[in-house]
Amino acid sequence: MGNIRNALRDTTTRRLLFTWAVLMGLTLIAMLSARLGGEARLAALPLWSAGLLLATTFFKAHRVLMVYLGLADASPAWRGAFVGLVLATLALVGSGYLVAQLA
Amino acid sequence: MSQHWETSARALPNPGWGPLSALPGNPLMWVLILSEIVVFAAFFGLFAWLRAGEREVFDASQQLLDPVAGGINTLVLLTSGLCAALAVQAIGRGAKRRCRQWLGAAFALGVVFCVVKVVEYADKLGQGLMPETNTFFTFYYLLTGFHFAHVLFGLGLIALVAWRISHDNVETAAAFWHLVDLIWILLYPLIYLLR
Repeated sequence: MGNIRNALRDTTTRRLLFTWAVLMGLTLIAMLSARLGGEARLAALPLWSAGLLLATTFFKAHRVLMVYLGLADASPAWRGAFVGLVLATLALVGSGYLVAQLA
Repeated sequence: MSQHWETSARALPNPGWGPLSALPGNPLMWVLILSEIVVFAAFFGLFAWLRAGEREVFDASQQLLDPVAGGINTLVLLTSGLCAALAVQAIGRGAKRRCRQWLGAAFALGVVFCVVKVVEYADKLGQGLMPETNTFFTFYYLLTGFHFAHVLFGLGLIALVAWRISHDNVETAAAFWHLVDLIWILLYPLIYLLR
């Protein structure tokens, strides 16, 4: 118990735990926005819902890169490169989704 | 001038690694992370492109997946990632026993992920949904299977570094485990949720 209390006092541990809580919360938001229950599950997602899903996914990937992988300590160029790559991936996925919805 | 360069070099996490000097942890792991993200991004893009052409098939096939099981697996993997990060922090303080405990927790949660995935595969295969059923299921098995192989490799790495424990080893294995997290974070909404 004392170990846990000591760990919570540590700034890095608090940051990791806070990030974990944010990631869990965002996952639940993504699941809710994807309307997994009842008849709604059979219908296409409204655009706002798909947008929210992609936005939470980006934020989760960003947090894993910056906090868990420690990219926050890297140079701005590397941070930009990795964040840009994740953004490009999600833009690709989002574009494909939009094309499918509008076709 | 030379003193300035020395100061700058000392401030870098990995001096002597050229452009990779500014990255934390093992620079080669970052090369792997970058290449893995690019490979998965190409597959994700291809999946999204093909979905645009066969929307009805993709949507009907996606209805046969269990998005709640996928969500539970996301929560499990993210918690496992936290344990790996706490293991790195523990070894940084020199607390080897605590580090092994966190690695053990990360490993156990990784096994839970595998069990859920195997149950899911067995259910799909039991329904006669094979990789050759349609394009959606080809990609479903390809992407989740490729990720599953990474999870198994990551579990092996975690077990190895728990045995041969050192700061560099734990940090490198944890970085790989976070990559596994990152790929699943991108994969889950694409395969299970977007429709």
